[in-house]
Amino acid sequence: MGVQQNVAQIPVDLGSAQPRAVAFAPVSDFLREYIVVGLFGALAFGLVAAFIGLASIFRPDRPTADKVENYESGVDPVGSGWSQSQIRYYIFALLFVMFDVEAVFIFPWAARLEDLGVFGLVEMVIFIFILALGLAYAWRKGVLRWV
Amino acid sequence: MSGTFVTLVAAEIERPSIDWHAIAPELILLGGGALVTVIDLIWLERVRKLIPTLTSLVFLVALIPVITLWADGSGLPRGLWIIDENVPATGVWEGAFVVDNYSLVLKGLFLLSAYVIVLLSTNYMSEGDYYDSEYYQLIAASVLGMLVMSSSRDLISIFVALELVSIPAYLMAAWRKRDLKSNEAGLKYMLMGVFASAILLYGMSLLYGIAGSTLLSDIAAAIDIGESRPVITLGIVFTIIGFGFKVSAVPFHTWAPDTYEGAPTPLTAFLAVASKAAGFVALINVVIVALPTQANVVEPFIWVLAAITMTVGNLIALRQTNLVRMLAYSGVAQAGYMLAPLAVYDGISDRATSAVVTYLVIYAAMNLGAFAVVIIAARKTRSAELSSYGGMFNYAPGLTLAMTIFLFSLAGIPPVGGWWAKFEVFRVLTEGNRTSGIALAVIAAVNSVIAAFYYLNIAKQMWFLPSPDGDNSRIAIPPALLAAVGLTVAATIVSGVLPGVVSDMTDFVNVAAGQ
Repeated sequence: MGVQQNVAQIPVDLGSAQPRAVAFAPVSDFLREYIVVGLFGALAFGLVAAFIGLASIFRPDRPTADKVENYESGVDPVGSGWSQSQIRYYIFALLFVMFDVEAVFIFPWAARLEDLGVFGLVEMVIFIFILALGLAYAWRKGVLRWV
Repeated sequence: MSGTFVTLVAAEIERPSIDWHAIAPELILLGGGALVTVIDLIWLERVRKLIPTLTSLVFLVALIPVITLWADGSGLPRGLWIIDENVPATGVWEGAFVVDNYSLVLKGLFLLSAYVIVLLSTNYMSEGDYYDSEYYQLIAASVLGMLVMSSSRDLISIFVALELVSIPAYLMAAWRKRDLKSNEAGLKYMLMGVFASAILLYGMSLLYGIAGSTLLSDIAAAIDIGESRPVITLGIVFTIIGFGFKVSAVPFHTWAPDTYEGAPTPLTAFLAVASKAAGFVALINVVIVALPTQANVVEPFIWVLAAITMTVGNLIALRQTNLVRMLAYSGVAQAGYMLAPLAVYDGISDRATSAVVTYLVIYAAMNLGAFAVVIIAARKTRSAELSSYGGMFNYAPGLTLAMTIFLFSLAGIPPVGGWWAKFEVFRVLTEGNRTSGIALAVIAAVNSVIAAFYYLNIAKQMWFLPSPDGDNSRIAIPPALLAAVGLTVAATIVSGVLPGVVSDMTDFVNVAAGQ
């Protein structure tokens, strides 16, 4: 919600930025626009560089074998980068996403069921049919079996 | 949150009366794709051989309403949501989805390309022990996104269409799943594609923030303030960069060669032709409909992109020894030529659009043909290395002739198709005697000469050099691949000898905006 409000304010900021154009008068309009784009990019890189650079100045630097290891959620990085995990979980996560999306669309539709009427009902049946096709696919191809 | 939502939708819903004829191609493709899935689910292995045929039939059936719309539409744009039924074809529509001559040509192009891609895929997929019915369903989904893209005149529908084009393509790029290169292809393509989508969304959000509407025509009206402003420029630059990834413009092309090399070759043809065309369509829709007044911002940016894209693409292509990688870089360079008309669209946006679409149509024919020959040759040589094409004239003279036609066309040598595509681009560039246009035309001309070297080098291998292993037994060409080569050869020659056939179709009034 907060993000949307910021976006809505942009035109207001534009108006107030107007007088500043005078300061850039000798540069052509076109160049001025792209200078802003360049500044924008430079700012993005500059911020990251500043954060990492400042940190490297102030922090003590005493590397040990443990410290330079890759950090992943506190789990010891043992073995090679190729580790296997159960494909079953992946498939169930994927199916969960399907029903999650379904719910996201069904709730608002249900809230306005009477106003949307038959038109809304037909639309929703089409939507659910396409999702159900996905489930039927998973079922028929045997991925729902917990092998 | 829910309170806000209810007030948003509290206004009485106006049920749109839907112009079923206008959306028939999309509906047929959606229904047909679902039908193919259901048939696959019911009979599984028993219908496996039928799935490619069924899918290509769906594409051809979807082509019927495109043709009838073309025949009766007399060039007038139609909308999906016709609010006032008394003014059907000319007037009022809500503008997110517009069917006009421009979108019909592109829909025809996408459906025919998809048909040829299925012809190219049939043997490759059935002989390679892949999941083949899913592959065809994904192609249908991706093509559905392309059809929607041709009609989209709204940021949201453009974005949804672009994702519908891309996501199945990410999956298909990694289709040879036991091959590390194919894994790399899919992963790289997905990561770069997602990255591009994020940049694109950022640019779109800035444009939306300024206009307060996602409709391209509303955006055009909102930013027509007689001057440019930094935030508008930022929005435009990010949006164009997002599309730049999709059309593999330098410096956003880095995914293309690896993805093209690793992906199944028919899918590479699909990416190089149809998927790239979809990116161009999105770019044209946004630039021509939403940014007609921002030429001072858009033109220099696209000018630089076009110049770098054709130069870098051609120079790197010179050094390639793998034909698929060479075609990938040649595709990058060709994208530069296609971008060029958009670098001078101010005041002649209709002509610039025609030039790009003409190029897309002819490029589809010649490039699909070239990939068809690569696929056929790989059935014998098991390799796409340039040296393995030596001596092909001895064992496959017809195929060599076909490939030579495609290469001449790609190089832009009359009388085959490619020259007309390039001619249209040059004509737009030099129209109006603008320095920027003429400079870009000179760069494009120099690049055409560079490109001729590596295209003709392939022809030299095939005609004059001996085959590397001395094996001159003939190639057996399966009927599907033969049909694909025949169709593309015919299209390439006809578009060059009778350019009117293509230019009559692509001579639009303009890209119709929604209102």
